[in-house]
Amino acid sequence: MIEVNNLSKTFKVYHHRKGFFGSFMNLFSRKHRLVQAVDSVSFSVARGEIIGYLGPNGAGKSTTIKMLTGILVPTSGSVTVNGYIPHRQRKENAKRIGVVFGQRSHLWFDLPVQESFELLQRIYRIPEAQYRHNVEVFDALLGLGDFFRTPVRQLSLGQRMRADIAAALLHNPDVLFLDEPTIGLDVVAKARIREFIQQINAERQVTVVLTTHDLDDVEKLCKRVILIDNARLCFDGELAALRRLLSTERILSVDYAETYSDISIPNAQVIYQEESRVQYRFSPEAISTADLIGAILQRFKIVDISVQEPDIEELIKTVYEDNLTLAQKLAEADVIDLTNRKRIS
Amino acid sequence: MRTLYLTFHVYLAFVTKSFQKRMQYRVANLAGLTTNFFFLLVHIFVYTAFYAARTGPLSLNLNEIITYFVLCQVFFMLMPFWGARSEVTSAIKDGSVALQLTKPVDFQAYWFSDECGRACYYLLMRGLPTFLISIIFFAVAIPTQPITVMAFAVSITLATFMSAAITITVFSFAFWTLDTTGFSGLSYSIITLFSGMLVPIALWPEWLAHIAAWLPFGGLIDIPFSIYLGKITGMDIWIAIGKQMIWVVFFLGLGRILLKRGFSRLVIQGG
Repeated sequence: MIEVNNLSKTFKVYHHRKGFFGSFMNLFSRKHRLVQAVDSVSFSVARGEIIGYLGPNGAGKSTTIKMLTGILVPTSGSVTVNGYIPHRQRKENAKRIGVVFGQRSHLWFDLPVQESFELLQRIYRIPEAQYRHNVEVFDALLGLGDFFRTPVRQLSLGQRMRADIAAALLHNPDVLFLDEPTIGLDVVAKARIREFIQQINAERQVTVVLTTHDLDDVEKLCKRVILIDNARLCFDGELAALRRLLSTERILSVDYAETYSDISIPNAQVIYQEESRVQYRFSPEAISTADLIGAILQRFKIVDISVQEPDIEELIKTVYEDNLTLAQKLAEADVIDLTNRKRIS
Repeated sequence: MRTLYLTFHVYLAFVTKSFQKRMQYRVANLAGLTTNFFFLLVHIFVYTAFYAARTGPLSLNLNEIITYFVLCQVFFMLMPFWGARSEVTSAIKDGSVALQLTKPVDFQAYWFSDECGRACYYLLMRGLPTFLISIIFFAVAIPTQPITVMAFAVSITLATFMSAAITITVFSFAFWTLDTTGFSGLSYSIITLFSGMLVPIALWPEWLAHIAAWLPFGGLIDIPFSIYLGKITGMDIWIAIGKQMIWVVFFLGLGRILLKRGFSRLVIQGG
């Protein structure tokens, strides 16, 4: 459904001179530097898949999504969505995709939701029967009826998001791009939207590309995740594999009875320290939990001690923080040979 | 043929929705109506005084001048840069305009339709009341010949199209400057002057009127109102309308190029 090959995007960022004279000079010559927003990223998504496209802010997620939706032209590499090249066949591609940007609404701000929907019906040339059926289904699942006649500007964030997602699906797209669809929503609203996405995906085989910082979204919706950081792809595989891999690392939290100056323990890394409260990260392969606790008890007095398996948020942070270790680990674990993969593509 | 019809259907829907969304702000419109009359009175007083003091004959009599300025206020909101602009301009500023590209719609045509809907709204909600009230209080000339009325209708429609096309062109600079207040302010001054909004071109010194004739902006006000007042007649009407058409095409083309280049450089602002 989606094929991305060696996709790269470089932006020119202009340097603005300061002051009046500077801005005058800007008219004639402008210095710029190149910023690599996406760097030879390759992946493919099959029909009906839900993938989580994750990465820290500024990693290149949105830039990728914009290239997939035809807003941006890639600097190099190729993209096809549904067989279309989005930036060359923008309108054809647009007819077959649905896009939701959590931070910005697609609906007409001053019009009631219903009017926006009717406008979309015309834009996408949706047959009356299909339109009515979809509105009915989405109403049942998302409860649009409560605010169908309300102008968009008067909607709550949760309502607006529901309306936006329904609007993106009115024309039965093959691919749905969701950019932070649950941002700022409360737990109930999030759950409702996730359920809806799941159901639509299962019933209609809609391919979903989800970018989010909400890892609950990922855990509930995605089997497969793609991580990018610093414009490069650093993991592509099953969420379960990622977790299995990284959960070899654990966190040990200790409350010491007093503040010690040297708290280092062999084979464990101090990742947090505030007065007498210290967290160590360790790998059970290098040192067993019992040995580590033993080593601590030998040298220090403690008040409290606990061991945690890192949650997914923590996992991903690890990946972001040093993706070299991850690449090595991935290679060792043979889940997916990243170095090799890159060479092939 | 059917595709063409369906395409037209879509953009017509944009026109009507643009009209509809403005219906939500009717009170603001009433306030605007008051402003229209304020400026109308100022113009009328100034010109009445001016005509009382004049020595030689002028190409427009007082009655025609009053009609001219009534028309200015009637069509004021249909002209470029005056009054509230569509949200499209702010969408360019904050980058959310990119979202429009995810829809199977031509952006310029969308914006143009939006401007036309806006024009329809102001014609009906602002222009018509201004006109009706004015004919009660002032001696407004009303064309009697059907050909004049028809030519005027065509000409004012073209003026509205030109206004929309100019608006799109000018505000497309937001892609480069992010803030168009400077540029649109400059355009505002030039257009106010050379369209004949401030002083009818018929009263200008010849050399300046000559310059104005070579500029496009007379197509906004001078041409349609001169047709209305019967100052342009016969074959000249069609030449004037042809001139308007050329400028509409020119600005649509220019706007199209700017938008295309603008979109290709957008994107940096706002992830």
